Amino acid sequence: MESVLSIQGISKNYGKLQALANVSFEVPRGSVFGILGPNGSGKTTLLSIILDILSAQTGTFEWFEKTSSCESRKRIGSLLETPNFYHYLSAVDNLKITQAISGRGTSGDIDSVLEIVNLSQRKNSKFSTYSLGMKQRLAIGGALLGNPEVLVLDEPTNGLDPVGIAEIRNLIKAISKQGKTVIMASHLLDEVEKVCTHVAILKKGSLLTSGAVEEVLVNEDIVELKSSDIIALENILENYPNKTNLKKEENRIQLFFPAGSANLEDINKYCFEKGITLNLLLSKKKSLETKFLEITGTSNN
Amino acid sequence: MLHLLKIEWLKIKKYPAFWWMLGIVALTYPGINYMFHNAYEKIISRKDMASNVAKFLLGNPFSFPDAWHSVGYFSSFFVIVPALLIIMLVGNEFTYKTHRQNIIDGWSRNQFIYAKMIDVALISFIVTASFTIVASIFGSYYSDAVHLTRWSEELQYIPLFFLQTFSQLSWAFLLTFLLKRAFIALGIFVFYSIIIENIINAYMKFKNWEIREFLPFEISNRLIPMPNFLGKINTDSNDAYKKALTDINYHIFYTLILTTLIWWLCFALNKKRDL
Repeated sequence: MESVLSIQGISKNYGKLQALANVSFEVPRGSVFGILGPNGSGKTTLLSIILDILSAQTGTFEWFEKTSSCESRKRIGSLLETPNFYHYLSAVDNLKITQAISGRGTSGDIDSVLEIVNLSQRKNSKFSTYSLGMKQRLAIGGALLGNPEVLVLDEPTNGLDPVGIAEIRNLIKAISKQGKTVIMASHLLDEVEKVCTHVAILKKGSLLTSGAVEEVLVNEDIVELKSSDIIALENILENYPNKTNLKKEENRIQLFFPAGSANLEDINKYCFEKGITLNLLLSKKKSLETKFLEITGTSNN
Repeated sequence: MLHLLKIEWLKIKKYPAFWWMLGIVALTYPGINYMFHNAYEKIISRKDMASNVAKFLLGNPFSFPDAWHSVGYFSSFFVIVPALLIIMLVGNEFTYKTHRQNIIDGWSRNQFIYAKMIDVALISFIVTASFTIVASIFGSYYSDAVHLTRWSEELQYIPLFFLQTFSQLSWAFLLTFLLKRAFIALGIFVFYSIIIENIINAYMKFKNWEIREFLPFEISNRLIPMPNFLGKINTDSNDAYKKALTDINYHIFYTLILTTLIWWLCFALNKKRDL
């Protein structure tokens, strides 16, 4: 598949601190690509590098299969870190500047993006009078201006209320349906799970994994069991077929299976035949969060 | 270039400080010149010999063609007013991180510096136009019929005023560009240009160190030397004045080199630095 963005071996230090270490991945055209990682994992640094705000110590990247240039940036609508606008100008005047620099959109488009991000009512108010959420929405509006083929959004739902968050998610999904590519950094798993098709996970500047969401964040089946004789139960389950793992937690046992392969009836039957009566048998879905904590190694378990 | 100018104008035209600057320039330029015109009137109204000599030798410094020189010299005292505007405009770009956004939106790093150079040129042009208007009014008002016909003799002070302002505003830009904080840049600019350099200059003058002509502001201040009616009226000072007039040509050259260096430094630093 054609890549919109290709990153090869990017490293960046801030003095002694290694912000990014040899990060490489490809962003396929038409994907919603989530860059996921805890605070301080290097997400914004990476986006700043691909937008030519920061320079990398080593490594290269290509936009649209060409060396990055201001011409490639003009084709990308971006929101990086914070909404950056002239505080004494109105939303319309600020977007006129965005439009003049990027060459994206017309003055008619300015009104329509302000409509999309719900700022029409306040479009002539100065930026300095906006609330945090309104500033964020204006920044998203600026990124959307002229319907660019790629969007780079750094924590796009920052500062938004629940309604605003839902609106932005729907907007991203709608944009993706038009065949556009969205590259989005987030520390909110739930956000990535709901809208992204692909994901790259960063931790302390290193890329832990990247690929399609269903491959990276694949869930497994967990079955929880209890009986009055927990030691005997553990002994017979040691030999249970197909399980990937067994964990003993206080007075219960957890069995792990590849996604979709756990069968409660079979387990119940197996235990009964071995002379153990269960007093608890339930199937648990592993949350994405547990998976994420596992990958990033920040789990306490 | 025109495209960059258009974008910068979008930023400037609705910036209140820009209109404040114009207002202050519109008040201070005529104000300071009127003050010095009164000082001149006081000199010639004295009944002593020197004042008669002054009147005879110098003529009215506010009539044509000397008006261009005198008004230019006094108006250039207020370079701090446009400098404040430049510092605020550039400081805003860093405070509100719009210097990053401009790049993200599609400018090259060089285009950002070109745009700021256009700002400095635009503001210099505007204050030069203001000075030209004030000098024309003073010249027309204080010239008799003979002097009026000589209005075009010293027009070189208009481009000299522009160059001097451009060079000094370039320092204001460089400081803000390096420090990224408007308040600190402003403090240093005011403190240095008004106090420190004058002290150094006076000390060097006392020590007879001619190198003082290369001090950052002195280098361009000498584009418009002090009008001679302010000095003592004697042969020595007249010779010094004539030398100052001939030296203008060298200082055009020095100022151009200095200003080019300032901008070259800005381009070079901006190319690699993290924004």
